[in-house]
Amino acid sequence: MRWRIALACLMCTVLAACSGGAHGRHLSFSGSALGQEGALIRTQLARFAAQHPGVDISVRITPDAANQRHQLYVQWLNAHVPEPDVLQLDIVWTAEFAAAGWIRPLAIDTTDFFPAAAQANRWRGVLYAVPWFVDAGLLYWRTDLFADAPASIDALRADATRAQRERGVANGLVWSGARYEGVVTVFIEYLAAFGGRIFDDDGAIVVDSPQAVRALTFMRDSLGEQGFVPVSALSWQEEQVRFAFQNGQSAFMRNWPYAWALLQDPQRSRVANHIAIAPMPPAAGGRPSAALGGAQLAINRYTREPELAASLVEFLTAPVQMLERARIASQLPARRSLYDGPDLGRALPMPIADVRRALDATVARPVTPVYSEMSEILQVHLHRALTSQEEPSTALHGAAREIRALLDRSGLRGAAS
Amino acid sequence: MIAHDRRTADSRLARLFVAPVILIVGATAPVPIASTVWAALHQRDLRLPWLGQPFVGLANFVEAAGDRRFLDAVLHTVMFAAMTVPIELALGLAVALVMHRVQRGRAIVRAAALLPWAIPTVVAALVWRLVFDNTTTMFGFDWFSNSRAAWIPIAAADVWKTTPFVAVLLLAGLQTIDQEIYESARLDGASATRQLFTITVPLLAPAIVVAAAFRTLDALRLFDLPYVMTGGGPGTATEPLSLYAFVALMERLRFGYGSALSISVFALTFLVALAFVRSLGHASRVEAS
Repeated sequence: MRWRIALACLMCTVLAACSGGAHGRHLSFSGSALGQEGALIRTQLARFAAQHPGVDISVRITPDAANQRHQLYVQWLNAHVPEPDVLQLDIVWTAEFAAAGWIRPLAIDTTDFFPAAAQANRWRGVLYAVPWFVDAGLLYWRTDLFADAPASIDALRADATRAQRERGVANGLVWSGARYEGVVTVFIEYLAAFGGRIFDDDGAIVVDSPQAVRALTFMRDSLGEQGFVPVSALSWQEEQVRFAFQNGQSAFMRNWPYAWALLQDPQRSRVANHIAIAPMPPAAGGRPSAALGGAQLAINRYTREPELAASLVEFLTAPVQMLERARIASQLPARRSLYDGPDLGRALPMPIADVRRALDATVARPVTPVYSEMSEILQVHLHRALTSQEEPSTALHGAAREIRALLDRSGLRGAAS
Repeated sequence: MIAHDRRTADSRLARLFVAPVILIVGATAPVPIASTVWAALHQRDLRLPWLGQPFVGLANFVEAAGDRRFLDAVLHTVMFAAMTVPIELALGLAVALVMHRVQRGRAIVRAAALLPWAIPTVVAALVWRLVFDNTTTMFGFDWFSNSRAAWIPIAAADVWKTTPFVAVLLLAGLQTIDQEIYESARLDGASATRQLFTITVPLLAPAIVVAAAFRTLDALRLFDLPYVMTGGGPGTATEPLSLYAFVALMERLRFGYGSALSISVFALTFLVALAFVRSLGHASRVEAS
């Protein structure tokens, strides 16, 4: 641990020494920089540099696995390193980084952004990060098996079961059930579909409510021989889920928008041209739901170039750059106004009306500085319930008790939303 | 008089030989251990910097004593050691006896037997994970979704990987046994089984204790196999102590509590090491008598 911090400091010193010469100012950006996304971000950064003579910008490559990037950021910021100046954050990190004082408050108008995304970037009423692109959990369904998306969760079960029995599809539905953040996003959707929540309006924990127990019981009962979700899904992450659906082994799939383009490639996919998307359908007393994800941009508290960093954030989250990102990386813009114009429809590979319906159904995960630990508690108990080591009600009561203890320990009782 | 001089000269030489080790261990071991103990007595949570880093005494240890997940992890660790070490010793002895007997191609047989030991644990774990992954094999049973069955791939990988190590240690022991003892046993009409249990095993006792000590201490520090194969799951059903300490330290970034857990790993292995050192002394006394 220590040596990593020391190494990070050393790296920064060396970088600062190399770049902080007499001529010019330097900014560094850290985020996803692989493949198309990497080429895109480099193009856009170069464009910004061209508009700002004397400024050069570098990309600091960080691991794409969210946990690892998070861990690295926390170590850097604990050590007060001034670079990277601009950080790509996951939507559930903003509150944590803001409460810790690691990122700067921002004065940027957010009226055009999706309210749930903008809200997730505020801590105690102050904006700390700007939504860059949004992600929504989608229910992919097969147009060669069904005429419409299921209208209710009971219809989903009926359709999935019928496809297995009558059409010889191996599985009804596949989702990411491994013990990681993915299983929490799936649960959040079932939870909203059954009318439950994690926190109520007063910030009290209600993850063990009767609605939540019903949602988790439904998930557990859908597994295995008697159900329509394969038990192996309990060790799957997004990619294994996609492979199963792509190979034609499932009637439905719950996954993120990135899968669309890959599924439509006839070279690799057996379901190309036979897919459509919808939000998770509701149970009685619930609502259609799609877990809200996505990336935000924030500024390092210890940056040496706060104004320049702020203009880079504004530049990257401007409509032009967002549209380009939609066209090249299929990532959904965080600005609502873009969905009204004709450009986005042409830029995105998936039908824009369906995308809008999913975005209207988004449910945010709790906004709290201890989200990561809270999520870990949930992951463990959800996984125990899904593998029948605990009854759903025992699991959720246990999770609620541990989350309350966590909030007490962190001095945050009542401060979450 | 001369004998006495030689003894002091010998012991002076011995002290000289031991000095570098004592210097190196003395310079490196206490600092991290002391700083871990120090961290364990504080609250230090990288994610909650507003709480500061107050001295909390034994609060982290008290929290651990009431933490179901920690107690489960201790139980998992001890059970894993109790389950795998005897199997590894028995198989290792069998392999050692075979290697000892082989006359032709000795070098090749020994190299082949050592191969699993030479493969990095993470690589071995990934391969074993694939073997048991029900989408790629004919087992047709989901090992990793069942809280008890998930231990079997882990134990299988551990036995496969470490049996050669035990075998080589025991082979070295076998080679020190005087062949004449077997010859006179044969003249007296002792059967092969009788020879195994009255000559081989007792004379091999010190080597067996050493092998058992190494394996047990390793098993109590179990980390990489479950980290790669199950992530400690399903739920936390295959989470050993070291993995939980890692989660507390590196994922939750709770340095205080995580250090307290690390100390418990250290305490557990240290106690077991002491027990083995004692029984090693006992085993060599038995051999000498």
